[in-house]
Amino acid sequence: MDNSLLNSLSTELRRGTLTLAVLSQLQTPQYGYSLVQLLESSGISIEQSTLYPLLRRLEKQELVTSSWDTTENRPRKYYVLSDYGTEIFEKLKEEWEKTSRELYTLLKGAETDESD
Amino acid sequence: MNLIELYIGEVTRRLPEKSREDIALELRSTIEDMLPDDYTVHDVKEVLAKLGNPAILASGYKERPMHLIGPRFYDLYIDLLKLILPIAVLVSLIAVLITSIFTADGGGVLAETITAIVGNAISASVNAAIQVFFWLTVVFAIIERADHSTAQTPLTSKYQEWTPDDLKETIHIPKEKRITKYQIAGSLIWTAIWSVFYFNADSWVGVYRNGELITPTFDQEVLVSYWLLVALVIVLEIVLSVFKWREGQWTVKLAVLNAAVQAISTIVFVIIFTDATLFNNRFLTEVNTIFDADLNMNWAVGSVLVLVIVFALVDIVQGFQKARIQEAKRSI
Repeated sequence: MDNSLLNSLSTELRRGTLTLAVLSQLQTPQYGYSLVQLLESSGISIEQSTLYPLLRRLEKQELVTSSWDTTENRPRKYYVLSDYGTEIFEKLKEEWEKTSRELYTLLKGAETDESD
Repeated sequence: MNLIELYIGEVTRRLPEKSREDIALELRSTIEDMLPDDYTVHDVKEVLAKLGNPAILASGYKERPMHLIGPRFYDLYIDLLKLILPIAVLVSLIAVLITSIFTADGGGVLAETITAIVGNAISASVNAAIQVFFWLTVVFAIIERADHSTAQTPLTSKYQEWTPDDLKETIHIPKEKRITKYQIAGSLIWTAIWSVFYFNADSWVGVYRNGELITPTFDQEVLVSYWLLVALVIVLEIVLSVFKWREGQWTVKLAVLNAAVQAISTIVFVIIFTDATLFNNRFLTEVNTIFDADLNMNWAVGSVLVLVIVFALVDIVQGFQKARIQEAKRSI
């Protein structure tokens, strides 16, 4: 079995879901590393070199807002969903649920076909 | 500690000035978050390895694409390249043709002159092709970076997205009807070669002995006195080539023009070769001594003329035949 092909296919599969995963965790303010930890605790591993640029892109698209917190011993940049971001997140979530239901039915169907 | 600063520097130097400071600050705080309280150089290296190649991280921050021409413009780019390259090559071939006619000085050796024309034609075409390729690529690389629309769909040659109506414009030309760019280039080079010969006949065409020209075939003064007619033929042949290139296939209009050009050039040929004073007297004597016989020049010239006329007629008829080939019928 060609492992690099499998890897690239599953990376491709996951890539689209990253934005959704990140948005879901930004309902409360998070800074970069806390977000990484949150995602990892749910089993989602994300390349850090992907995550930080993604956060800035989301900010540019006005889905999240950011602010620097300088009260702690080191300054941290916190990101949180904007109103627009919340709206988009809800819609994306619905879209994902719909897709996964559909895919589930498809895959389930494939399984019964095999057992026939 | 300086590894961290070096890493941040490696990332930010690839970024636009205005975002550098903010990203540097955020990166530094992130890296420190990832490190344990009492960290060693080893820890730092581990963290930096997790962040990965600074170039990749920087490219993530950058808005600009990491490719020269993306999928949105690639097809359009290739189409334009295919369209413009032949034009550029054709134009440069015409330029070579014209300059060779006006600059050939007849002093050179025959083979050298032909080599020079072919060489010039090749280098001019290659040069034109490289120029077109370079500038078109530059323009598209800029468009790729200037286009901020989020659409990813490729554009067609009308700079619009594809619709089924575009299918009407794809034409299929049968192979026998088609005129390739090579044919056109070939006929232009042929025009260049014979016209250079015409203007330098006295130094190239004649009887050779030990590789040296001893007697030219033609009386150059008589030959060149027809230059106006010859120039007319040259211009007509260029016009025909340009027209062929524009049509891309044999049409009735093209066949008519081809017939006219063939007829005129044949007439000019006949006029020149039926001139009794065209041949050099010394050449005629020379030929008679070589063959040791009193050859009748009229007979030789006559057969050449008949041959030329037959070829011209065949060419004219073929033009009309090709023009009559119908497009293959297609159903929707």
